[in-house]
Amino acid sequence: MTNPTDHLLRYRPWKGELNPPAYASVAMARSSLRLLFRRKIFWALYALALMIFFFFFYGQYLVVWIQLLTANQTVTFGAMPVRVGELTKFLDKLNLNGSPHTFGNFIWFEGYITMIVLALAGAVLVGNDFQHGSLPFYLSKPIGRRHYVLGKMLGIGAFINLLTTVPALLLFLQAGLLYDWQTYYTDNVLLLLGILAYGLLLTVVLSLLLVATAVWVRRTVPLIMIWSGLFVLCRTVAGFLVEAQNFSPLWRLIDLWNDLYLIGLWLMRADVESAKLGPNPQPWQAALVVGGLCAICLLYLRKRIQAIEIVS
Amino acid sequence: MTLLLDLQKLSRTFGTHTALRDVTLQVPQGLVGLLGPNGAGKSTLLKILMGLIAPTAGTGRVLDVPLGGDRDARDNWRLRRLIGFMPEADALVPGLKGIEYVALAGELYGMPRKQALRRAHEVLTYLDLDEARYRPVEDYSAGMKQRAKLAQALIHDPPVLLLDEPTSGLDPSGRDKMLKLVRELGNLHGKSIILSTHLLADVQAVCERVVIIAGGELRGVGTVDELCARRDDRFRLRFVGPKEPFETALTAAGLISVKHTTPRELRVILPPGRSTLELFQVAAQTNVSLRAVLRDDVSLDELFRQATAPEAA
Repeated sequence: MTNPTDHLLRYRPWKGELNPPAYASVAMARSSLRLLFRRKIFWALYALALMIFFFFFYGQYLVVWIQLLTANQTVTFGAMPVRVGELTKFLDKLNLNGSPHTFGNFIWFEGYITMIVLALAGAVLVGNDFQHGSLPFYLSKPIGRRHYVLGKMLGIGAFINLLTTVPALLLFLQAGLLYDWQTYYTDNVLLLLGILAYGLLLTVVLSLLLVATAVWVRRTVPLIMIWSGLFVLCRTVAGFLVEAQNFSPLWRLIDLWNDLYLIGLWLMRADVESAKLGPNPQPWQAALVVGGLCAICLLYLRKRIQAIEIVS
Repeated sequence: MTLLLDLQKLSRTFGTHTALRDVTLQVPQGLVGLLGPNGAGKSTLLKILMGLIAPTAGTGRVLDVPLGGDRDARDNWRLRRLIGFMPEADALVPGLKGIEYVALAGELYGMPRKQALRRAHEVLTYLDLDEARYRPVEDYSAGMKQRAKLAQALIHDPPVLLLDEPTSGLDPSGRDKMLKLVRELGNLHGKSIILSTHLLADVQAVCERVVIIAGGELRGVGTVDELCARRDDRFRLRFVGPKEPFETALTAAGLISVKHTTPRELRVILPPGRSTLELFQVAAQTNVSLRAVLRDDVSLDELFRQATAPEAA
């Protein structure tokens, strides 16, 4: 006897228009984000990143509130009268005033979480493709290597922006509302563009670097070690050489996050001399290092990601 | 009818090593088995057919689409869209559910998102994975993984399927199921299938035609029946009686004995102009009673070994 649902099991042909290969990159980015958000560790790290954001968000509000309402008032602190304005002096270092340094500092601090997130994401999104043989799945489709790299970079880039650029834009929006919003927004259009450019720079450089390092080492633990080396060890070594040994500030160029920060400050038209961890090299020197690193990553990816691996 | 494969003097070298040498081949649409030992040039041919690498010399077409070879060009995308490829490697994306994995494949082929998702449901249902579609692919059994890989190759309904070792790692029932699916796709749904495998039984069970490659050269092409029929008059003799004198007498009579291990069976080749009557005469002389004289077909296994032997070059 024929089952009434038997027809459902038959093969049915499909006719339709196929999109160009660039759409495949978007699909890859979407599935990359899905893979990241499916892991609880990323939510935990994202929550940490949000804490930094909320610190800046409420800090900015607090500073304005104190300045406007209570700056001249005094409170008794340990039996001593202290001006309220003095209590928030420690926040001055963070420049919580809607200036370019506010956003530069915010992204600087988000960098610590971003590094950990990216080290984990690299293994999940790219390392797995090599380790579990997913590369043939992608490259046997009508897409080129550039579409594969672009798809992965889009996915990673979206996550980087969720950690850095999007919260920075929210801080910008908030800063405008705390002051005279019409004046703030019109006077700081270039700052807004600078934040977006800084976000784009972080997206391109970090995602490219991540794809390259994940293709190289593939597994989570070595990847974390490589990223720790790049962003923690290099910073420590640079600090030791420049500050303790009085070497040339050019040695700071080995600290990649600092290089990105210097370029970011320059993009936001901030005074680079007042950057954190001074003395620093010039932004153009940092740009040269970052550009060189990107070129090396691209050359490595071109060599390593080859469609030829599909058929063993 | 458009040829499935039309290759003209196709060659491919890697430095000083020639992986493929002057392969000229015309294969009509249907189920084709691609056979060859390791290092035969089979993988190179697959890569060229999929437009992943370019031939060093020669030209070729797959369903009338010219071979491109590792170029981001419209013709090359056209070629890859013609082919649904099921790789031998695991090729799964850990963390994705079955339905997401197959739908992603559809989008990579260029299908719009909603259509890819709907089609993924259809294909997974067809391949009997409907109940497992919301499970992560890494939790699938070996058979389910193979079917998921077939599903991602079928998602955009390509006219050509290129299956690389589709029964690898399957138990006998899983293997039968997979071969039945492949046969059905070829015979009922008009797919042309290129089956690359080391398992000759798979080719014999599924394919109409066989292409044998060894040492980078084409060693044989034709239907399974045609290839297996290429033999001298060869017979299998079942007998009762002493084996050694019978075999010696056959050889002395110019009836060539072929090596065989069964104690009550011999295989002989009758040279042209000789009659099977002589077999009975020799048997009578050596007090052997012949129970059966059967035509001895060359198996695909034997044919493969003959074709790929170094002296066949």
